[in-house]
Amino acid sequence: MRIKILSFILASILLLLILGILNLNVFQGSKYRGLSKKNYVRLLPQIGARGRILDRNNNIIADNKLCYDVMILPRETSEADKVLMNISRILGRDFGELKDIFKKGYIAPFAPIAIAQNIDVAEAIALEELKFGLSGIVIQPRPVRRYPYGSLACHALGYLSEIDRWRLTKLEDYGYKTKDIVGFGGVEEKYDYYLRQEEGGLSVEVDHRGKLMSVLALRPPQSGKDIELTLDLKAQQIVEQNLVDRNGSVIIMDPYTGEIIAMASFPNFNPAVFVDKSKFSIGNLFDNSEAPFINRAITGVYPAGSVFKLIVAAAGLETGKINTVKTFLCPGSTKIGNMEFACWDTHGPQNLFAAITHSCNVFFYRSGLLIGAQAIHDYALKFGLSKPTGINLPYEASGFVPSPLWKRIYRFKNWFDGDTANLSIGQGDLLVTPIQMIRMTAVFANRGSLVTPYIIKAIDGQDISLAQQKSLNLHFNLSTIDYIRQAMRNAVQGLGGTAHVLSIPDVSVAGKTGTVQVPRGQPHAWFVGFFPYKKPRFVICVFLEHGGSGQASCLLAKQIIEIMVKEGLI
Amino acid sequence: MKSPFFLILIITLIIASIGILSIYSSTYQKEGKLWQVIYQRQIFWVILGLALFLIMSNFNYRRLWDLTFFLYALALFLLILVFVLGIIRLGAQRWLRLGWFNFQPSELTKLVMVIFLARYFSRQSVDSFSMLVNNSGISRSLILPFIFTAIPMVLIMEQPDLGSAATILFILIAMLYLCGVRLRYIIITLLVGILSLPILWHFLRDYQKERLTVFLNPNIDPLGAGYTIIQAKIAIGSGGLFGKGWLSGTQSQLHFLPESHTDFIFATFAEEWGFLGSVALLLLYYFLIRQGIAISQRTSDHFGKSLALGISVMLGIQIFINIAMNMGLAPVVGLPLPLMSYGGSSILVTFISLGILANIDKTRNVF
Repeated sequence: MRIKILSFILASILLLLILGILNLNVFQGSKYRGLSKKNYVRLLPQIGARGRILDRNNNIIADNKLCYDVMILPRETSEADKVLMNISRILGRDFGELKDIFKKGYIAPFAPIAIAQNIDVAEAIALEELKFGLSGIVIQPRPVRRYPYGSLACHALGYLSEIDRWRLTKLEDYGYKTKDIVGFGGVEEKYDYYLRQEEGGLSVEVDHRGKLMSVLALRPPQSGKDIELTLDLKAQQIVEQNLVDRNGSVIIMDPYTGEIIAMASFPNFNPAVFVDKSKFSIGNLFDNSEAPFINRAITGVYPAGSVFKLIVAAAGLETGKINTVKTFLCPGSTKIGNMEFACWDTHGPQNLFAAITHSCNVFFYRSGLLIGAQAIHDYALKFGLSKPTGINLPYEASGFVPSPLWKRIYRFKNWFDGDTANLSIGQGDLLVTPIQMIRMTAVFANRGSLVTPYIIKAIDGQDISLAQQKSLNLHFNLSTIDYIRQAMRNAVQGLGGTAHVLSIPDVSVAGKTGTVQVPRGQPHAWFVGFFPYKKPRFVICVFLEHGGSGQASCLLAKQIIEIMVKEGLI
Repeated sequence: MKSPFFLILIITLIIASIGILSIYSSTYQKEGKLWQVIYQRQIFWVILGLALFLIMSNFNYRRLWDLTFFLYALALFLLILVFVLGIIRLGAQRWLRLGWFNFQPSELTKLVMVIFLARYFSRQSVDSFSMLVNNSGISRSLILPFIFTAIPMVLIMEQPDLGSAATILFILIAMLYLCGVRLRYIIITLLVGILSLPILWHFLRDYQKERLTVFLNPNIDPLGAGYTIIQAKIAIGSGGLFGKGWLSGTQSQLHFLPESHTDFIFATFAEEWGFLGSVALLLLYYFLIRQGIAISQRTSDHFGKSLALGISVMLGIQIFINIAMNMGLAPVVGLPLPLMSYGGSSILVTFISLGILANIDKTRNVF
């Protein structure tokens, strides 16, 4: 009897054990398989490097360096205070401050807490050595942007920072995540998709101590693609060194292709401050009333001033409203309607050639009235004004060219002759960007084609200049272009020319100055030109915000051209 | 060929071979020469055990009757010797160094207690069918055996070796029951035992208390005392239906599972052979114990009957506690899985026990 009960107990135990295994194995199997995997599989993220940005000769403008972050694994530290004390000693940071960071960053025992970022290699090595005595310290290398030339070409490059909400909603579908580092402004933003690296990972098998046993799978991180700019590092340096401390912009461009050789805007910023936010205060930069982040070359809109006279001249000759012998007398001012319109000097009798040379306002008031505001507007649009040039940089402004219709619709006012006169000398409601002006100048340099400026030469070694928009032939009479070209040359060469300071022996420059009267402060100073005159290789546009007369821009252009000659760039 | 002798021999060898395979699997990746030879040592123990099995199966068990008190005295002597000369390993003083072999007297004591109790509850005469204890009083049937059992038990608990002590206690209770002691005596024993649990609690070592509380909730201390239970459950649970395959169990191969070649060999095995393998192993053990019970039922000799039952119960209890402990159904007490776990003492004692079992069957045939 009792033996039967024993047999029964034995069978029950067998059943119980089988059910126990069934429960663990089958009913909770997936849970335990997951736990087992979590035990032995570790995912080590591997971060690729962002694509580099190079100049046209493959000089590095922005590349990457490794920086080190210090993290603490709370699970593996029993004595967090001691660890923090040592870190504070090595990094020279306040212990209380580190402790605060540690406390605030604490999420869970297994989640590493970032204690310090961007520490030096020497500090990283010193901390690595600490690891032998103190557990729980993790030094994580991370590639960050390095700018060997500091703020050079900062506006063309843009900067890198953590993605903001607006960009995230826009880019979420392209695989961007919160906390991603993305480009802000410049090439970094426009070509972020190419530059950005793809995170890879290493799935490894580890033993109970976390020692690596074998590699299960590897997805190599994809480094971003390098981008080659059309910028010439040397020219860019020359331009920036001469523009420094003045507000304004200088652009140098190839007149035939539209390649931007140099593009500078001041005041500027050092994109490196975004790499290590702890060491610099960015707030100051954003609060700065001079707006250092604005790329004045493409985003700044200003009245064109006398530079616009080139368009009026072309319009006059092309429409036949004026010809090369048409002469107006400049007595220093002229009366249009009830208003007295002044010239900056008393030029006497002026034909178009002389008027461009001397930048005579009276001649252009009179011609403008002959041509008509609508025709001037139309020709301005032909020269690419009032819309973005299409340069491959973000946030380009379109500028504005007023017209009688616009004034009636939006201002509820009639267009008066005075408005035409103002437009003829590039004042009034007209707004242009420096990039539009250089593009307009290039039409004269290359004899009649409107180019599309661009700044990207190649992506990942692939030349993309062929993909650029072809230059557009404006179908002007060659005689028109040549006539204005000669006048521009004369403005430099001729004794009374407004840009006579640019008459330098080494290189023949042709150009046009502009002085924009502003309601307050010094006038803005323009200079657009091209050189060498016979076979132009460069177009230049110098713009100085409140820089004084056009003369100031001429002087700056002269400095730049002279150094370029000296450096053998021309 | 379907004789119990061969059945026992074959089942035993299969289980021992599975054990060697699992020991190899759990240790071959470990660094150090010592780990590399562990499976070879186990093979040696199994071969030695086999020899002892054959010897014992030809050694008339009736002679154990005469040797009982000598064996009991020897076991006590060895247990006391452990306290004097024993080597301390894993925080316990359980082993005696015999040359290069560390002998664990508590393993032997289990078998000795089975023999002792079997003799105690049976009559010498082969003719006497009725058991003496049926009509005897409480002191003869309960108190005296309890005292005889308590002496080695206390010694073993002090080593400390809770698993072996518990096994001996269970053997006592089972023998009381199976040898026909009045049920109310057994119930009294159990009640006294349960009521004295809170008092006994104070005699436990800290680590033992910890293990018992952790058994109730392993997540109290997932990286400390509960770690082993959690890892063992993960090992068994992640095996799936067919297992991860021999030499592919990540829990044991990557050392997440501690004691994967000794106390937790079942988890190692279950991880690699899955649900089907585990059930097959359980059935093998079941058939082995059924053989023991069957032998007991066929034996007319009272001593042989009790002895066969005692040996079956001894093996069954150890197997049950160990596997239940692997699955988190019993607290972690250091107890090997007979025939599977690495360890000479356990292997040899188990083989001897099975040899005795085979001999009981054989001797019956002679009668």
